[in-house]
Amino acid sequence: MSLTDFHRFKELARQENVVFYYTGYFSQSIVTAMGDSLRLRLSSLDASQTARRKLFSVFVEMAQNVVHYSAEHLTAKDSADHEIRKGSLWVGEDNGHFYVVCANPISAQGVEHIRAKLEPLRTMTNGEIKALYKEKLHAEGESGSKGAGLGFLTVARDSSNPIEFDFVDETGDSGSFTTFYLKATI
Amino acid sequence: MQNLYIAPTSSTPEVNFQFDQHQLSLRGESYPENAHAFFGPIMQAIQAYLPTLQSTHITVDIQLAYFNSSSTKVLLELFGLFNDAAVAGNYVTLNWHYIEDDETILEFGQEVADDFMALDFHPCELIG
Repeated sequence: MSLTDFHRFKELARQENVVFYYTGYFSQSIVTAMGDSLRLRLSSLDASQTARRKLFSVFVEMAQNVVHYSAEHLTAKDSADHEIRKGSLWVGEDNGHFYVVCANPISAQGVEHIRAKLEPLRTMTNGEIKALYKEKLHAEGESGSKGAGLGFLTVARDSSNPIEFDFVDETGDSGSFTTFYLKATI
Repeated sequence: MQNLYIAPTSSTPEVNFQFDQHQLSLRGESYPENAHAFFGPIMQAIQAYLPTLQSTHITVDIQLAYFNSSSTKVLLELFGLFNDAAVAGNYVTLNWHYIEDDETILEFGQEVADDFMALDFHPCELIG
């Protein structure tokens, strides 16, 4: 890639109001550092405290989702902690609203599991999302969940528009895989 | 029982449990990688402390500017332990500090107050 291409890349990001972009491995220390950087960036932008708080919340839930669940990882087999997994994350602004987009590879079995969780959230009102959040908060932990099983609900709760998602089949060095995309608009 | 102090980091709160004064506080932000791993030893300390009390006034100050979803679940379990101690005859004051327009944290506090009626719940607004 020539320096002119890098310039095009940077200009495109500027024109599209991309505030922040990262692709690579995600670990807790990277999430924390990205969070600090994102907050600094937001403090120079014209955004309400409420929007900043919701944006930060959505960012943490999505980034930690990559740390915990991305199918491609460097985590030591015997480690329950210090996970490192692969993904991408964008924060940008569109028509006066901030958005966060996250992408990570998932297993083929993951597609229907995630779809079943996310599809109902798209048609719920904010009141219904909050009621379901409350119900899940009091429920016993879900098997296979490393957090509280509240991550997607928190993202949906903090979004002003219905969340958007997609699954894209790709082919890489190690064969074919599916990338899961999730977008939340604050 | 030995007091418990854990210094804050970017993603974990300051933990200051002065068991000898019955003053316990959490301040800062909470979004560790694994909320159960971080809060596990804290819950254990609380579980060892509470049964030693009789008709004691405990003051709990929670001043968290942000906590992620897995911390939310663990916090609810923690307040459940305090509620049990209040039901068992102690008096537990929960000072819930939140920044003035932070609806999410205020609503969670109200949820805690509704769930755990034995707690003496005080919302404390901080002017941001």
